[in-house]
Amino acid sequence: MRYRIERRPEPSALMRVAAPAIATLLTIIVGSVFFAVLGYDPLATLNAFFVEPVSSLNGLSELLLKASPLILIACGLAVGFRANVWNIGAEGQLIIGAIAACGVGLFYPDPESFLLLPLMLIAGAVAGMAWAAIPAFLRARMNTNEILVTLMLTYIATLLLSWLVHGPWRDPAGFNYPQTALLPGAAMFEPFDYSYRLNSSIFITVIAVVAMWLFADRSFLGYKLSVSGAAPLAARYAGFRESSAVWTGLLAGGAAAGLAGMAELSGPLGQLSPQISPGYGFAAIIVAFVGRLNAFGIVLGGLLLSLLFLGGEAVQMSLGLPSALTRIFQGILLFFLLAADFFIFYRLRRLAEHA
Amino acid sequence: MRDVTRREFLRYSGAGGVALGVGGLPGLAAAEEKLKIGVVYVSPIAEIGWTKQHSLGVEAIKAELGDKVEITVLDNIFMPQDAERVFRELAASGNKLIFGTSFSHGTPMQKVAPRFPETAFEHCSGIVHLANLGTFEAKYYEGTFVAGAAAGHMTKTGKIGFIGGFPIPDIVGPANALLLGAQSVKPEITCNAIFLNSWFDPGKEKEAANTLVSQGCDVICSMTDTPTGVQVAGEKGAWSIGYASDMSKFGSGKHLTAFMLDWSRDYVGAAKAVAAGTWKPEVRWDGLAAGVVKMAPYNEAIPADVREKLKQLETDIGSGKVHPYTGELKDQDGNVKVAAGSVLSDPDIRGMNWFVQGMIGNLG
Repeated sequence: MRYRIERRPEPSALMRVAAPAIATLLTIIVGSVFFAVLGYDPLATLNAFFVEPVSSLNGLSELLLKASPLILIACGLAVGFRANVWNIGAEGQLIIGAIAACGVGLFYPDPESFLLLPLMLIAGAVAGMAWAAIPAFLRARMNTNEILVTLMLTYIATLLLSWLVHGPWRDPAGFNYPQTALLPGAAMFEPFDYSYRLNSSIFITVIAVVAMWLFADRSFLGYKLSVSGAAPLAARYAGFRESSAVWTGLLAGGAAAGLAGMAELSGPLGQLSPQISPGYGFAAIIVAFVGRLNAFGIVLGGLLLSLLFLGGEAVQMSLGLPSALTRIFQGILLFFLLAADFFIFYRLRRLAEHA
Repeated sequence: MRDVTRREFLRYSGAGGVALGVGGLPGLAAAEEKLKIGVVYVSPIAEIGWTKQHSLGVEAIKAELGDKVEITVLDNIFMPQDAERVFRELAASGNKLIFGTSFSHGTPMQKVAPRFPETAFEHCSGIVHLANLGTFEAKYYEGTFVAGAAAGHMTKTGKIGFIGGFPIPDIVGPANALLLGAQSVKPEITCNAIFLNSWFDPGKEKEAANTLVSQGCDVICSMTDTPTGVQVAGEKGAWSIGYASDMSKFGSGKHLTAFMLDWSRDYVGAAKAVAAGTWKPEVRWDGLAAGVVKMAPYNEAIPADVREKLKQLETDIGSGKVHPYTGELKDQDGNVKVAAGSVLSDPDIRGMNWFVQGMIGNLG
């Protein structure tokens, strides 16, 4: 018997709804077998993975705190991805945003000014956009591959951060360790409650999600971008300029990533050190695709990835599972999710046997 | 909308506070209850290396206190954002003694510790102390000084190589001591230093080791979290010096020695003190004398009389007769940093961000 993968003439409406459910079911089955073979009670493990982390208010606060930068960045990236503009350097734009915001926070003459936080916010967004403007300019003017340029600029951003915290911005009272001084209180987002870490920067993400939805689904520019992505030749024929898609896509991603860097700095971090992001800029690419480049899909994708991360810690804590096993399980879920999505557009067909 | 959220948060957090308060009480009354200990590692436990040595400390608690303790371990927690959550959750779930094992755990521990005043926090390689946050650290430079003396006896080219993770004082100081140890044997020896800006990057470390060998270094000391430096040196026929664990099996017979770390005293001591209710935050900084730093068995290729001298040197450093940073010490530009006859002060050792004369390379 032979099979062939072929494109569906129409995306399957059934699979569109069923894909996430099928993926979840398969993950639970395979995951249960996986845990049982290794000698862990599958039900208890799944419970610890998916329920325990969000069964307390602190857990929910941590879930949102972790999901917020992922969702924010993914919203920005999706604008570009819809137009086939591949910004994979959000990590670098995040770092530059955090650096700029920290510069304002450390050196603004009045450390108690209520203007400090808004200024840092602007600095973060502008710096992220400026960093993304480099690949946008190179792509629009010289047709340079933006995948390479954005990725390479991430390494440059990391080294710039390393130089700053090892050199000029090093905390004078910090035993020469590579980190800046802690930012003043006025440079930090207020937590909703001091028992938890979730802070008001979550509203930036909420605004970004709504803006992304309005822009992508309700605006003419968003429509033009989607056309450029889906049918570049048709877009050119209709007179849509490719360079405007490049600029819009990259600047949106840069602004979102820069804001996320600023929010990390003024939220859970409070200072710069050589490594400030646990790979949010890269994980956000997964979030954008798990969310099918749609604003509300991205919210769900961000919450899922964040829950997977917290669940990984929870099973280490309550059941003693090694962190490598939890990452295999996370991989299984993402694999099924993306594989099931594949069948929205494609199907397996049995080929007739030839005599 | 924000008001409602805030009010709700306050309401729930009030309930959470009550629950925490109640949860704290049984700990005082129960003599037979198990002592819950939480440990956070920065990387997975490998066969050798930094985290492995910490896991031996945890094993030592189990061996000593057996089923009187219940230990929860989390590995691969590096980023401060994640570390703060983990420390908070360990404290909230009733662990009365919590260990952080990396410098990057410092700021998160400083944020969490004041919220859990009944919990003892111990931070390895920390620099900040609070009412319930103590630190412990090793005098690596005592070990590298002895290893450097071994290198000084064995080098033919007069050049040794050093590979470091990050150019932080805990690495820069030991690199200096390595060279000073070698110079105590032959004053003209120099040391080429390369920093990887990573604790774990076997690819970059291999490149660095190859570079050092091609620059003429015939002894390589690698202060990272992998055996790569030792391996490459062995393959290239250069001597090697291991760090944290005995790495002789990776060195193709060319492993001179290693300066090993043994934290078991710190782990067991803290666990016993918390169990007995006598724990206090301390600043512990120990080396060869206390056995926190230990030299791995010397390579048989080192002449027997030299091995005797090295063992004597270990004793002399332990007793304080020899201090690795004894003047006169000059920096790379020839400025006198420590006058003849005096020794570098402890705070200056812990903040060392300059290379001694004879070091070749930059801090960056």
